[in-house]
Amino acid sequence: MKSPTASSVISFVVKLEEDSATFYDELSCRWASAGETLASFSKQNRKNKSVVQRAYYGVISDALEGCFAFTDLDTEDYLIDTKLPPDESYTDSLQKAMGMEKKIIAFYIDAARPAKALLADVPRAFERIASKRNERLLKLNELIGNFTNQ
Amino acid sequence: MAILEEPIKESLQLRNYINGEWVESETSHYRDIINPATGKVIARLPISTEKEVNSAVAAAKDAFPEWRRTTPLSRVRCLFRLKELLEENFEELSRIQTMEHGKTIDESRGETRRGIEMVEVATGIPSLMQGSNLEDIATGIDERLVYQPLGVFTCIAPFNFPFMVPLWYLPFAVATGNTFIVKPSPRDPISQIKLAELYDEAGFPPGVINLVNGEADAVSVLLEHPDIKGVSFVGTTAIGKDVIYRKCGETGKRVIAQCGAKNFMVIMPDCNLDATIAAMMTSFYGNAGQRCLSGANAVIVGKDDAFYKKFVDAFLAAAAKIRVGYGLDETIQMGPMQSPDGKARVLGFIEKGISEGAKLVLDGRKPQINGDYPDTCFLNPTVFQEVTPEMTIAREEIFGPVANIIRADDLDDAIEMINNNRYGNAAAVFTSSGKVAREMKYRVNCGNIGINIGIVAPMAFFPFSGMKDSFFGTLHGQGRDAIRFYTESKVVIERWF
Repeated sequence: MKSPTASSVISFVVKLEEDSATFYDELSCRWASAGETLASFSKQNRKNKSVVQRAYYGVISDALEGCFAFTDLDTEDYLIDTKLPPDESYTDSLQKAMGMEKKIIAFYIDAARPAKALLADVPRAFERIASKRNERLLKLNELIGNFTNQ
Repeated sequence: MAILEEPIKESLQLRNYINGEWVESETSHYRDIINPATGKVIARLPISTEKEVNSAVAAAKDAFPEWRRTTPLSRVRCLFRLKELLEENFEELSRIQTMEHGKTIDESRGETRRGIEMVEVATGIPSLMQGSNLEDIATGIDERLVYQPLGVFTCIAPFNFPFMVPLWYLPFAVATGNTFIVKPSPRDPISQIKLAELYDEAGFPPGVINLVNGEADAVSVLLEHPDIKGVSFVGTTAIGKDVIYRKCGETGKRVIAQCGAKNFMVIMPDCNLDATIAAMMTSFYGNAGQRCLSGANAVIVGKDDAFYKKFVDAFLAAAAKIRVGYGLDETIQMGPMQSPDGKARVLGFIEKGISEGAKLVLDGRKPQINGDYPDTCFLNPTVFQEVTPEMTIAREEIFGPVANIIRADDLDDAIEMINNNRYGNAAAVFTSSGKVAREMKYRVNCGNIGINIGIVAPMAFFPFSGMKDSFFGTLHGQGRDAIRFYTESKVVIERWF
C-alpha cells in the first residue's frame, strides 16, 4: 500500500521476516550441505522481526508522526516471492534467495529514509538489518561459488 | 489490509473497583459506551451513587496509613510489576482505546507507551522523593527537609486520552505514599477498567487504588469530600476553571487543572517544507484533532506570496489524502470523532467560520470513509484560509480536525497573535533559524514550546506545563512537579543537648 502507517509498515516487516525465515527453513532442509548457514539466516530473520517490533513498541508515541511517517513508500514494491518449486536446483534456489535479500534490503533502506526524523529507533533498526543483510548476500554468493567449484 | 481483531467481543457490564474488590453498582442509571467508528454498544457504564463514591474515598482513606508506612522500595515494586503487566497487555490495552475512543491503532499504541513511561519514571521515587539537609545551621543544630504524602487524591479523567491521562498522576501519587481514586471519563472508561485489573494483579494493597465510574454527580461528591486532599483534572476551561479550580480553592484541596487550548504553529519561510508538512498532519489531524496539544492555527509568516502558496498547496494536498476510517484498520490515518456531540460541535464551528468570512478550502463535513461504517461520528480533514485572529474559529478551541491558515506580517506579529489568545498550552515554530527559535522560546506565553515539533508533548520526566486559560493550579502533572504536588514539605530543625 502507498503511504502506509507505521503500524502497517511493522506488520509488513513481520510478514517479510516470517516468510523469508520459512523460506530459509525449507531451503536448509533441502540442501543439507549449506543447512547450517541457511538455518542461521532463518533464526536471524526471526530475531530481526523481534528487534523491529521492540523498536516500534518502544518509541511509538502519541507525539510522533506514526500515521504519516512513511509518506512516498509503497509496500507493494517490495513483495517477495518465497515459493520453492520442488525441482528448483541448488544454484537457482540460492539465486532466488539473493533476489529476495536484495528486495528486502531495498525495503529497509527506503523505509528508513522518510522515517528518520520521526520515529527514532525504528529507522536505525532498519538500517542495521539492511547492513547485516548485505553481509548475508556475500555469504550466499560464497555458497554458490563453493558449489560451482566442486 | 485486514482489520485487527477486536478485543471486546460482546458488551461489557462495567463495575467499580473499591477496596481491592470489583463491586457491582447499585445504581439504576447506566450509560451505553459506543464504539464511535462502528456504532456498536461495547459496554454499559454504571452511574455510581453518592454512597459508592463515598465508599471509594473511605477505602482510600483507610488504606493510607499503612501504605504511607510501606517502604518506598516496596511501593515501587508494585509499579515494577505493573510495568511488566502493561507490557504484556500492551496490544490489548491499545486496541481497547481504539474501540472506545476511535483513534488509530498507532495513536493508541502511542498513548499506551506514554502511560507506561509515567510508571517507569515513578519507579525512581526512592531517589526522586529524597529531601535535603544541612548541618550546622547554628552551633550544633542541623536542619533537614523531608517530603511526606498527604492522603487521598483523585483524578477526573478526560475522554480524549482515556488510558494515558490518569497515568500522568497516579503512579507519582501512589509511589510517594498516597492513595488514589480514578474517575474515568464516562464516555470511554474501558481501558481504565482494564488498567485497574492490572493494578489488582500487580499487588497494590486493597484501597490504595480505587476506581469509581460516574458523571458530573460523582465529580461533585469527590470535590466536596473533606478527605480528598487534591484533585487533578483534564478537560475544558469552563469546567476546569469555574468548577474544579474554584471548588478546590473553597475546600482547601490541591489542584492541577489542565484545560483548553488553541495552539499556534508558526511557519517561517526558511522551514524544511516536507518535514513540516508531515508534522502538521499529525499536529492538526492526529487523534482527529481531539487533543490539547493539537495544532489549531497555522500562521504563515512573511509577505512571500510564492512561499505562502507553496505551503498551502502542500498542506491541502496532504490533508486531502488522509485516509479516514476505523482505527483498527492499519491503513487508516485518522479515526472518527469520539462522539456525535463532538462532531456536532465541530460542524457548528465550521458554520461559524464560513459566516465570519473565512474561506473553506477543504470541506470535511461530508466524510469519505474507508470501509462500510456509519458516518455518525466521522469527519474528514477541514482547512480554512483567509482566517484572521479575531474570528471565532481562530480564538476558540474547536477540538476537531480543522486547520485555520492565518498570515502574519512578521514574527512579531505572529507572537502577538499567540500572546493575545486566551489560551497558553502550546505553540511551535518551524524554522531553520536559531534566532527565530530563541524569540519563540523567550517571548511566547505558552507552557510548552516546540521548535520544529508538531505535538509539543513533554516526556514523563518533565512537567506538562500550561499557562493562561490552559492551566489552573501551581504545580503541573508529570516529573518533579508531580512529586511536589503529591507531597508536603516538612522541615526538621534538630539540636541534641
